[in-house]
Amino acid sequence: MRFLLISLCFLVVSCGSYPKKQNFKADNPATKNIENPYFSDGSLDYVYKASIDVYDRNFSGLLIIKKIAEKEHRVAFTTEMGNKMFDFTFIEDDFKVNFILDELNKKILINILKKDFKVLVTENLIVSNSYSNNEIDVLETSIFNKKHYYFIEDSQLTQVVNTKNGKEKVLFLFLKINNHLASQIEIKHSNIKLTINLKSITQ
Amino acid sequence: MRNFVFILFFISLAVQAQTKMSVTEAESLKTLVKQQALTTKTISSNFTQYKHLDFLSNDIVSKGKLAFKTPDLVKWEYTDPYNYVIIFKNETLFINDEGKKNQVNMGSNKLFKELNGLIINSIKGDMFDDEAFDITYFKKDKNSQVHFIPKDKKSSKFISEFQITFNEKGDVLEVKMIELSGDFTKIVFNNKELNKPLADAIFTN
Repeated sequence: MRFLLISLCFLVVSCGSYPKKQNFKADNPATKNIENPYFSDGSLDYVYKASIDVYDRNFSGLLIIKKIAEKEHRVAFTTEMGNKMFDFTFIEDDFKVNFILDELNKKILINILKKDFKVLVTENLIVSNSYSNNEIDVLETSIFNKKHYYFIEDSQLTQVVNTKNGKEKVLFLFLKINNHLASQIEIKHSNIKLTINLKSITQ
Repeated sequence: MRNFVFILFFISLAVQAQTKMSVTEAESLKTLVKQQALTTKTISSNFTQYKHLDFLSNDIVSKGKLAFKTPDLVKWEYTDPYNYVIIFKNETLFINDEGKKNQVNMGSNKLFKELNGLIINSIKGDMFDDEAFDITYFKKDKNSQVHFIPKDKKSSKFISEFQITFNEKGDVLEVKMIELSGDFTKIVFNNKELNKPLADAIFTN
């Protein structure tokens, strides 16, 4: 009986949506759209100095993102010396590996990168639920069938939270925003020890 | 018809800008570069790196300084648009990424060793290894350009061709590394000084 109670409690807690747990209140989703402007200018070559901490190792290089056409982006990674590590294409919901080093050619890794970069390059999303407190709007949407929450402050996208079972799985922070360019981006995973730090050197 | 003559004229100009060397010319360039490589104990140079990716509007440009000391100490110091130092020393790679220091032992990594060897040889220009490369020689105005195509399938997966441009003295002006996809990295050296004394301390992280 006690077990049942505990598991009931647990069920109730885990059923609460992520924003509600963060003390946001539901409001009307119909009026809102999600727009991510940070990789939306086709005339720009977006270049970021990247520092990746995975478990106890650190890697660095350049993350290069280019909008090729409407709903099409290239995402490539090179070392500082120019050696290409990988090169991906995102078209609508399709994903293609143009190149990847044999050493990195692992399904798990490619999947993580694919999900993370998909969030960066997706520009327009349909809102399924909407929450807010006084200052922040939290818009719920789904990417690859996973719930994502977009945080809008002063009509600026400041963070995205990818959740699993109502718990934060990946956090995307857009910092030092200037004219639709996020000078700094942090991607933090909470279920694996992986953090990606990006600093814009867009020329 | 006049257009056709014009086009022909321009084509012949373009061909003239880069012509194949005769066997004797190629031999004398080889001797010159090898001689130069033998007498080069240190190299200090500024460099500009152009990373060309076909899908970008512009090449990604970075700048810095190169230091080389025989037999195998190499330091690439990027200063613009970021600070990044990579030192090749013995079998270890020392990295300083804006203060974050890291080192990688290359002892177990055959590929890295090969890459390091290639880097040193291409800085000196001495890559004339017919066993490892298919080599073709070109004249380009006063300069020479040599194309090295790796015979080994494994290394050609990364770099399908090296193109090194030499001046009349047999000094390396430019190294271009072309990937299978056609994307490339081009490094242009300037203010190059040979045999300026370099302390070993320069090559510590």
